[in-house]
Amino acid sequence: MTKTIRVALTGNPNVGKTTLFNALTGSRQHVGNWPGVTVEKKTGRVSHNGYDIEIVDLPGTYSLTAYSVDEIVARDFILKEKPDVVVQVVDATNLERNLYLTTQLAELGVPIVIALNMADAAEARGDTIDREKLSALLEIPVVRTVGTRGDGIGALLDAAIRVVKSSSHHERTVDYGSEVEAMITSLTDALAIDRSLSVQYPRRWLAVKLLEGDESVLTLVGEGPASARVQNLLSSIDAGEYEASMADKRYETIAAILLQVRSAGASEGASASDMLDRVITDRYLGIPIFLALMWGAFELTFAVGAPFATAIEVGTAWLAEFATSSIGPAWLGSLIGDGVISGVGAVLVFLPNIFILFLILALLEDSGYLARAAFIMDRPLHALGLPGKAFIPMLIGFGCNVPAIMASRSIEGERDRLISILVNPFMSCSARLPVYILFAGTFFGTRAGGVMFFLYVLGIVVAIVSAKLFRSTILKGESSPFIMEMPPYRIPTAMTSLLHMWSRGSLYLRKAGTIILLGALLVWVLASFPYGVEYGSEASLVGSIGHLVEPLVAPIGFDWKIAVALIFGFLAKEVVIGSLGVLYGTGEETLSATILADPGFSPAIALSLMVFVLLYTPCVAVVGVIKKETQSWKWTGFSVVYGLIVAWILAFVIGRLAPFFLGGA
Amino acid sequence: MMNNVCPLVLLAAGTEAAIAEIRGGRGLRARLSGMGLCSEARVTIRSTNCGSVIVAVGDARYALSRGIAAKILVREVQEAA
Repeated sequence: MTKTIRVALTGNPNVGKTTLFNALTGSRQHVGNWPGVTVEKKTGRVSHNGYDIEIVDLPGTYSLTAYSVDEIVARDFILKEKPDVVVQVVDATNLERNLYLTTQLAELGVPIVIALNMADAAEARGDTIDREKLSALLEIPVVRTVGTRGDGIGALLDAAIRVVKSSSHHERTVDYGSEVEAMITSLTDALAIDRSLSVQYPRRWLAVKLLEGDESVLTLVGEGPASARVQNLLSSIDAGEYEASMADKRYETIAAILLQVRSAGASEGASASDMLDRVITDRYLGIPIFLALMWGAFELTFAVGAPFATAIEVGTAWLAEFATSSIGPAWLGSLIGDGVISGVGAVLVFLPNIFILFLILALLEDSGYLARAAFIMDRPLHALGLPGKAFIPMLIGFGCNVPAIMASRSIEGERDRLISILVNPFMSCSARLPVYILFAGTFFGTRAGGVMFFLYVLGIVVAIVSAKLFRSTILKGESSPFIMEMPPYRIPTAMTSLLHMWSRGSLYLRKAGTIILLGALLVWVLASFPYGVEYGSEASLVGSIGHLVEPLVAPIGFDWKIAVALIFGFLAKEVVIGSLGVLYGTGEETLSATILADPGFSPAIALSLMVFVLLYTPCVAVVGVIKKETQSWKWTGFSVVYGLIVAWILAFVIGRLAPFFLGGA
Repeated sequence: MMNNVCPLVLLAAGTEAAIAEIRGGRGLRARLSGMGLCSEARVTIRSTNCGSVIVAVGDARYALSRGIAAKILVREVQEAA
């Protein structure tokens, strides 16, 4: 008979919880070298010694007082779902701070096991930690783990099972000194009359949280029968003084324990990470270095990917032609050649570029630079009404806006988070890249790289201007101050970065096989009916739809085919290209040669189209995640409409201005 | 023993200091406590950028904007001569 136990993984941000989770469960959850990678709980299973163990990976948190949505996710899970065991993943190189959370968990009375993670890093610099003594002093089992190598996984699971089986567990709690302890006792007595609360939470923990001024506990108690007595007690003391002395006591207790169990190695001076930070976060050099890195990244994406892309393009054009002419009956040949191969192929062409982009993003994440970029951008962003932390979702948005909008959870202020969500769709995601490469490559030749860079910058500028606009109109207030841990720089290993690239790039491949294929087929069907019309002509259904919408976009210079592509682009932005591939998909020419020959296009129109695609209504998936994260149809609708209006205006204006600065192009 | 107390924001890179007081709301103080930034904690300024700082507390490095660095009062710690 197997028993099921539920284990929650908790701990400070960026201590390797997800790495350990992946090692425990064989999952491939995304990890990165910055605090806040995990913003939603993730569940995995593993069998061990006849137990079916459910493991829940929680977002990182410094304390059980939650400040941001991701921390609330972690705290609520431990408080409300009451897992059988909490495994606190502890960074062995930073015990003081990590054990601070342990003291809070112990007060909560949950069964705890400590995973002393990154033990190899601590040992490498000469620290020795007496685990048995630490375990005895804390009255909590301590297991040595190295998540990256999978060391200690079995022992950790053994310890978790033992803790569940023993049912009685004692963790040592901090002694706050006679004055505070007396107040805690008075508070626990007062709380006794609130039966329902006393059943759910340990009273001592509630008392401690009340003294710390924890908002959500104050609300919980305030709604119950103990409210008046508790208020009375709290108003009799200097809350600030109590709170400060409690934090001190915690650290004193931890220091006393560490004195007995750890002998620290040398290395306390400025490390290589610090030297690097002097340069990278320098007030004068920081921003130029950042811009140079970005410029290099886009050059690389475009230049290195180009030859591969051309090869795939020629290949798919040939394959489409072959299918159309040799597969019978003719309608089937057309379906496969014009629909599937031209549509999906038009998008697959850009696979090499997408993979390079994801590799670059993986390197940024794994090296530790991402957090520095947020720091560098804090001052300029703060002036514009966004906290620097919002810059991380913006950079992730270059890959895909869906995880980027989720990443906004680690932003503390509710308004800050909302603004960060609303402006994120303007960050040019990888799905828009195919559109740029096709049109910039076709119409701007050697200047394609510059045009693409302009589009990315335009996206950032529109995002920032919008943030400023929202901040000064509908979401007034100060942006929250910047506090963020800077992870140590790490040289990313080729293996992990390539794995990150693959896990995100393969999603793009899957998308090509599903939603993009669906879009292509839809356009093909609409282009082929009513029965008997010339394929893709104005008389077909797709022609009618295009003509219906054409008046709306005609002022910008878009014809009905572009209108159709933009409508279907709502499914996913690559479908803009897929639809054009289907609509133009006859003949042996490549798509870029065909559009170059079409009088409906010009460099100015191509530029307007790219601007429009950059800015207009995000794809279905992004609309879905905006709804989920804002919990509001109003904001979701606002985001869609705002994007459309901004896209229309800027596409119009830039199209008008284009002839002046494109000059003799 | 009692050296002059000044805000963190005024210290130069490389300076070592002990936190004397955090002048902020309870929320800010509790947050900083969780990160190891509480009174008597030893911090070292690692780099400065127009008032924003990166401080080291033990092995952790935190970036703090100027607004926060101004609320943290510290005593400079003189290296034993």
